[in-house]
Parts: sequence; C-alpha cells; structure tokens
Amino acid sequence: MLLLEHFRTARESLRRTRVRTLLTISGVAIGVASITTILALGSGVTNIINRQVTELGSSIAVVRPTTKETSLLDFGNPLPPTSYTTSPLKERDVLSIEELDEVRAAVPLMTLSGSVRTPEQQAKNALILATTPDFPATTKLTFDEGDFISEVTLENTAVIGSQLAVELFGTNSASGKRFTISGQPFTVVGVLKRQNTPINYNNVDLDRTAIISLDSGKLFNGGVAQIQQINVQAKKGTDMPQLSSAISQQLQRNHDNQRDTEVFVGKAIAAPSSKLFNLINTVMAAIAGISLLVGGIGIMNIMLVGVAERTHEIGLRKAVGASNHSIVLQFIIEAIIIGLVGGAVGFVGGYVVAFFVSLLLPYDPSLSWSIAGLAAALSAGVGVLFGLYPAIRAARKDPIESLRRMH
Amino acid sequence: MPRKKTPVIQLNGLKKRFGVGDAEHFALDGVDLTVEKGEFIAIMGPSGCGKTTLLNIIALLDRATSGDYLLDGVSVERLSGARHARIRAGQIGFVFQDFNLIERMNVIENVALPLTYSGVPHTKRLQMASKILKTFHLSEREYYMPWQLSGGQTQRVAIARALVNNPSIILADEPTGNLDSKASHVIMQELADIHQRGNTIIMVTHNPDLTTYASRVITMLDGHVASDTKDVKVEPTISTTKRPLGEKPKAKKPATKKKPAAKKPRKPTKRKAKA
Repeated sequence: MLLLEHFRTARESLRRTRVRTLLTISGVAIGVASITTILALGSGVTNIINRQVTELGSSIAVVRPTTKETSLLDFGNPLPPTSYTTSPLKERDVLSIEELDEVRAAVPLMTLSGSVRTPEQQAKNALILATTPDFPATTKLTFDEGDFISEVTLENTAVIGSQLAVELFGTNSASGKRFTISGQPFTVVGVLKRQNTPINYNNVDLDRTAIISLDSGKLFNGGVAQIQQINVQAKKGTDMPQLSSAISQQLQRNHDNQRDTEVFVGKAIAAPSSKLFNLINTVMAAIAGISLLVGGIGIMNIMLVGVAERTHEIGLRKAVGASNHSIVLQFIIEAIIIGLVGGAVGFVGGYVVAFFVSLLLPYDPSLSWSIAGLAAALSAGVGVLFGLYPAIRAARKDPIESLRRMH
Repeated sequence: MPRKKTPVIQLNGLKKRFGVGDAEHFALDGVDLTVEKGEFIAIMGPSGCGKTTLLNIIALLDRATSGDYLLDGVSVERLSGARHARIRAGQIGFVFQDFNLIERMNVIENVALPLTYSGVPHTKRLQMASKILKTFHLSEREYYMPWQLSGGQTQRVAIARALVNNPSIILADEPTGNLDSKASHVIMQELADIHQRGNTIIMVTHNPDLTTYASRVITMLDGHVASDTKDVKVEPTISTTKRPLGEKPKAKKPATKKKPAAKKPRKPTKRKAKA
C-alpha cells in the first residue's frame, strides 16, 4: 500500500522535473544499450552454430585438439603460438572412432593452404578442405549443381563453393570445369549453393572453399593427414555424453595417454572455440559496464539535487508521520524508476544498434530472455546502488531544521 | 473526569541545550509539566522563551537534552525512531506556525498526507480529507494549489491537515497568527469542538483573547514554566501576555545573559510570520 503510494509520489516528482529526469534516464540507457549490443551480438554467434548443430538432429560430436590457454601475453605476440603447433589428430584416430558401435560416420577435416586458380583467374582467400565422402552426413550441404565427391569420383575432383566458382569461372555453373590447386589439376564435380554461413562449427567458410578428398589433401602435405577436426555422426538414440567419453578414452589410448584432444557435444560445440573471442567479449562488456557506472553516478547526482530541493517537503513528511524507512523507500523507488526506464530504453536501443551493426556482420543479433533479465537486473541494481546514498541522506534530515528551509 | 488516570503527557526536569561551549544556551531549562487527557492548554510567553522548542519536543520532532518525557506513561526515550514516526502519524496533529503545505500538491492531497503514513488507502484518504475540508468551508477549494489560496485559507488547510487523522493530541504553534479575528474565532471554535470531544490540545499563542478557549494557561519565561493557571475561562491578568509585540524588550534582557547563537535566526522568522 505504502509502496504504491511511494510509486505515485515518485512518478509525480519525476514528471515535475521532466528534462533532468530524461537526461538521467538517457545516461542509464546508454550504459544498458552498450551492454545489450555486445551481449546480443556475442550470443548471436553462439546461436548461429547452435542452429546448425540442432539441424543435424543433435547427434553430432566434434573432436578438436586441445586449445592452449590464451593469456593476455598472447595479445602481444604477432601470432599466437598455437598457430604453429601441429594437430595431434591422425588418420588412425578417425578409424578408431569409426570402429565404435554408436558411430555412423567419423569425418576428418583437414584444411590446407595453397593457390587455387585457373589459367586466367586466381581466387583470393580461397580455402582448401580435404575430407571424406561422408562429410555431408555431419554438415548440411545443398548443391547448385552436381554432387559431393564420392568413392568413385574421389581422385582429382573437387566440390567448390558458389563464391569460389564465381571468382574462378565468372559463373556458378561450373560443373566439369577444371582448375588447379598448387599446380595440381582438379575437375569440378559439384557446386554448393550459397550457404552464407562464414561462422560455423567447422570453422570453414564453405562459400569460398574447394573440397577435395582426404587422399588428395595428403599429397599436398607429404602424404600425412594433418587433421584439425573430426566430426562424428552418431547413430540415432545414442547417449551423446557417453559417446563423448568413449571417444576421449579411445583417443587417449591412441595418444599415449596424453590429453591433447577434446570432444564436444551439444551446446559445447557452439561455444566460441577461441578464448580470444571470449576475452575480447568480456573486455568489451566491462567497458560498456563503465558507461553504466557513469549513468549510475548521474542518478546519484540528480537524486542529491532532488533531496536538497525537497528538504522542506522531507521535513514536513517526517513531521506528519513518515518514518526514516519510508523516506528512504520513497527516494529509492524514484531511483529505481529512473534505472528501470533507462534499462528498458537501453535494451530496445541496444537491439536497434545491434541490428544495424549486424548488417555489416555475417550474423544476426540474438534476442534472449537472459539478456533482457540481465538488463533489467543491472538497471534496477544501478538504481538501488546509486539511489541509496541520497535516500539515506534524505531520511537522516532533521525535521525541524528541514522545515525551517523555505524550499 | 479521568484526572487520576495516567497523564497523557508528563515532563520532568526537561532541558534542551543549543550550542556548545560559550554559545551554550538552554532553550528549556527544567520544565515540569503534567497534561491530563482532555485538557486545552494555551502556552504563552515572550519570544525566545522556549514555547516552540517545548512544542517540538512534545511532538517528537526534537529530543530533549535531559529530563523525562512520558507519553501515556511510557518514556519516549526508550522508543525507536520508527515508533516515534508512528506516534506522529496516528496520535499527534501538528499545526505549524507557517502552514508548511507542500507547494506542488493540491489542497486535498496536502490534507490527506498524514493518512498516507497511517496506511489508509488512497480513495479513503481523499474521502476523509474532503470531509474535514468541508467542516472548514473549503470544499470548493479542494483542487486548488496552495499558492492559489489566501493566507487565511492556507492556514485553515494546514489546520485541516493536522486534524484529518483524528489525533488525540493536537499541538498548535500560533494557529491563528495569520488570520483576522473573525477567522481566528472560527478556527478556535473548531478547536474547542475538538476539545469537547475529549481531545487534548496544546496551543502556543501570543493572542491573550484566545486563552478564553483554553482550560489551562501556562506562561513560560526563560525556558521554564513561570505560571500555570487551571480552569481559566477569563483572560488571565499576566502582564506579559497583554501586548504580544511589546514584550520584546522584556524578552531580550534575560536572553542576553546566556545568549544563544541558535536562537537569533528564529526571532525574525517568527515575527515575520505573525506580521
């Protein structure tokens, strides 16, 4: 009851000082907006991969070499040391995973670098992915033309992404055309439909990739497979965590009991694999947090002004029976309203910004309850935190002294 | 009638000190006073004699430096701040020297304000405020803002606010100081009616005419009770009360002895308000 009354009083007094309330609200809104933008874009990345994983029925496990702990020191290095280390995953691992009962297919992914060209054109930023014909079982592929490489067409054939096709041949109807990878001739047997998923759990932008067989890939690497990732497609109804530990055990046995690989299932696949990405995200959120802090200081400032202006009123309210507690509550509620309205405006504003930023990025911002909850909690928290001191100051005022003040 | 019962207010050796060291000054210097339920007390005395300080302490707006204050037989020193607030909200109505209406609230909201802190619902509050405003002939002014009222009307609103929560003790600091004599008597009649209903009223006044409404007249001088006359229905013959403004020189003499820094600023305010 009294709470409702405080709410009414707060609304009234905020309305009376409309301009400065709006300015204070915008301070909080900017803080919340920047946090929302960063979180929305950050989880947008996670979401896009999640969707890819669920599209395949959540029966995918991914094996990757253990990433080295990224420390702040690595920022200084021109290239993180992990880039130079070779992957511990070998062809033998693929075979031993395939032998497990629950596994339908184990697909090695070997990325290579090399020049991709026709006599006339050189493709920029092209990737070369060597894999097995089972690859479509673990990654959804659609074709403009032709088909994936198969056991029959394995040798010197390639499937290329639509972007690469356009770069090499000026058209994406490129079936049967020939090009070279590091001087080796290849024939196009299939052209992929435009995927537009530069971010995916294979870490390969399929639109710009030439996919060749693992055997051809090995030729470019001195006959040794250099596998960056193994995609495992489980049989229907498999208990994924159990499969995951079975795979780890198998790999540990293969690798002389060394834990140099990691198996991801479910959501863990989607978690950004780069610790650097997480670190940057955290740092950016912290910087955004500082702007929220500034917004909070704005609340405190304006509340102190309000308390000074309403000294006489506070004195009177205490004289007619307001306890210190209810004076504190009255001002805290005012601060919370500023915080929450700022939070709501900032949340919406943050998404608008995220949307515009995402026009420049290959993924969409994700709208989630957890971000909305966080924004609400943060803004109410800022209201309470920064409203508390002015409210306590108001409550501590001596009624007689306050009544003597004429405003 | 219930004279033998617990007094509503009992003050024993009440002292209030302002300032420290050289500036130390006792606004109240050992006040002993017992107020029975249903009394109508008029406190008179020169400016600076401690009337308002005494009223503030009784209203629990201020705390005494030493001495006992028993309200309904309970020492207020032992009660928490929140309990004090509850007593102010429910048991005490205070009429201020200078109205003290909240400028940004309209008349009815101002009058309803004390009810907020007794937990009365919004609509009921406004109904009660409206009812009390009617008795003060202010029904048509309910939605006026304070600055749209004349001085007399403002004071009546302030009095209505003090009475709205039906307090058992009404404290009034110069309630009619700003009203013409006709309006003053309307207000005093109202207070007398409330007194008739069994409420206790303590009023500070400079106007000796108004003491005719009181059942007891107390004169204060230099922070203590100088005279205490019960059951007076005629104007008391105390010289200091005859010419309220003329008593200033008298007040000054004793005051200069142990002169207070704290007292000075209050005098002009008081006089201005009464002017």
